[in-house]
Amino acid sequence: MTTLQLKNIVKRYKTNTVLDNLSLDVADGETLVLFGPSGAGKTVLLRLVAGVIDPEEGQILIGGEDVADIDAEHRGIGMAFQNFALFPHMSAFDNIASPLTATNATKDAISAGVHKVAKLLKIDHVLSHHPKALSNGQKQRTALARALAGSPPLLLLDDPLRNVDAKLRFEMRLELPRLLAAQGATVVYVTQDYKEAMALGDRIAVMSQGRIRQIGTPEDIYNAPADIEIARLFGDPTINLLDVTPKSGPDGVYVELSNVKVALPGMPSGVVGKPCVIGLRPETIAFTDASAPGAIPVTVEAETPLNEKTVTLVLTARGREILVSRPAGTPGPVSGPAHIAVSGQAAFLFDKESGGLIRSAATPMTCNGEAA
Amino acid sequence: MSETALFIKGVDKFYGPIDHGVHAVKQLNMDVKKGEIIALLGSSGCGKTSTLRMIAGFEAVSRGTIAMKGREVQTFAPVKRNVAMAFEGYSLYPPLTVRENIAFALKASKLSQSIVDEKVANIAKLLEIEDIMGRYPSSISGGQQQRASLGRALIRNADLHLLDEPMGQLEPQLRALLRGRIKHFIKERGLTAILVTHDQTEANALADRIAVMEGGVLQQFDTPQMIKERPANLFTGTFVGEPPMNVFSAGISGTGDTVSFGLNEGVKLDYKASDFSHEVRAELMKRSKVVLGIRPYAVRRSEGGVGAKVAVNQWLGDQTHIATDFAGGTMVLVEHDRTNLAIGENVGIRLDPSSLHVFDGESGRAISHGQELA
Repeated sequence: MTTLQLKNIVKRYKTNTVLDNLSLDVADGETLVLFGPSGAGKTVLLRLVAGVIDPEEGQILIGGEDVADIDAEHRGIGMAFQNFALFPHMSAFDNIASPLTATNATKDAISAGVHKVAKLLKIDHVLSHHPKALSNGQKQRTALARALAGSPPLLLLDDPLRNVDAKLRFEMRLELPRLLAAQGATVVYVTQDYKEAMALGDRIAVMSQGRIRQIGTPEDIYNAPADIEIARLFGDPTINLLDVTPKSGPDGVYVELSNVKVALPGMPSGVVGKPCVIGLRPETIAFTDASAPGAIPVTVEAETPLNEKTVTLVLTARGREILVSRPAGTPGPVSGPAHIAVSGQAAFLFDKESGGLIRSAATPMTCNGEAA
Repeated sequence: MSETALFIKGVDKFYGPIDHGVHAVKQLNMDVKKGEIIALLGSSGCGKTSTLRMIAGFEAVSRGTIAMKGREVQTFAPVKRNVAMAFEGYSLYPPLTVRENIAFALKASKLSQSIVDEKVANIAKLLEIEDIMGRYPSSISGGQQQRASLGRALIRNADLHLLDEPMGQLEPQLRALLRGRIKHFIKERGLTAILVTHDQTEANALADRIAVMEGGVLQQFDTPQMIKERPANLFTGTFVGEPPMNVFSAGISGTGDTVSFGLNEGVKLDYKASDFSHEVRAELMKRSKVVLGIRPYAVRRSEGGVGAKVAVNQWLGDQTHIATDFAGGTMVLVEHDRTNLAIGENVGIRLDPSSLHVFDGESGRAISHGQELA
């Protein structure tokens, strides 16, 4: 059983508070992703858990035990940090083997262990090289392999795929969860890539300015982002955000986009007249016929394919920009006038002043692929 | 039809002595039409930047000709080529503000001050740099410098716009929007642009045609759609496309009525002979070893399909990536909805013959795409 608990952690550098009364529970075997912009405090948090630095206030418990008096090397943690920190005088093999040589493992067992993890990380062909002969991507994977080799119960991984090229990054995104699951380790994983966060995290903690702003499953965060900033961080293309002022009609609350009414079913009337921001994910907007009810006239500015999607930038009559995304290969306008349909069901509403979420999409996708 | 803006013929680039130095660009032939957006795409060292620098005039051509508007320019100094550039190392003037840097590009145009001001204001709005127009280059971030430099290039009415990794440092939340705006801007003005990038997402989003380069050799020069649907070889097929194409080595056997591909671990994919044209069948039967490729979004699940086991199921908000253990390797599926599949679950996989790419097992050259010969 390796759980990780952080209780009311405060970390300051001089007068600068980098972690501000932060608490966090990571369950046994869970992969928790710390996600946020640089400077959010993610790496500082990892270093505290690792025991490289100490907090000013608060408690860190690993497996239920307070580790304040336990040195970094005795905390049973495997680490891969951004700056690689490989031993320069040792080959990649010896670097990876280093956590094992301290144990009673036989030479054959060590060799087998190193080769196994190196093969999974696709560095088995460079095991004899010294760090200076490795590319950045290979160094990063060597550091990752070293962290995994000792099968530690707690793994701290600081953006391990950062310097890896796009193709390998994708492969690793698929390989890593298998590797981690096979180890059964509890993992804290730092990344700035939302796709990596959603793909790898059992839960994601969104951090900024030394605080956890939201914590939850990928579904929780994508379907109910706590505020506008978080909504903007998840999704490619970025969520469309348009200023609106909800109004009240006979069929309930609605907003107007280019003089077309978009009903917001189930919206409390308290928002009427309040400055708000409506959030529309590009994949929830569709092109439609001019005659369809609720069709909003737009002008197509540009079509920009994005992986297996087609992204279209359109302009409303009032000059508001909207991004529309659809699966590649499905028909849609390339230029000139067109119409879009916006689903009030799939819209988010945020308070313009505070940025806070007022209402999440009424029909978010759930884990089971069914409308909630 | 439309005018040729750039014509590259038989161009070689050697660093060091000709025929003995490093051969960075090999026998490059390429034409760019007026009003086209072209992306030179490849990983570092593929020759794309050398090519761009030769077009700009920063590098000498070792052999061959480069013509613009029908006139050979390979011996011309950069300033004589009427080319606008946003390059790394072709930096902003430090003593000038961002506004002055961008306006400076219009100096030779003899436009009135009010028109210059309006154009500068427009480009600042387009690139979301309005708030830094009064700042000096040294006081803004790398991403902002990149945008300022892009603005300085785009504002000119040059014969050719050369853009080196124009959006590499942009914050991800702005990328899709700026791509749309920049493409619209270039198209509306009928500008001709060549961008160099290692990022296929950027190339696919912006370019009318993509020149895929590797090892100094132009691998394929075609529209994003054709590169996706008809990759010329295994390199292009696996380099362009995200997630990457699934590839499996296979043996071939067949009777008059069937074509079968034998994969690892005894997995056999059986097709009717009529699933392929005569010509494709004839080419396939000449070979014993091929590589099969299929794009992740083209892989279908079907009950009667070949068995595969779900290893990873990752939902990314607007799509699901599923990795399955298949024929001793990994078969990746992309589905546009949230898919409910448990790890370890067995699924049937169907590889529609119309989505199948077959490559020569030795040379990697494409043999067929679906029914048709490559």
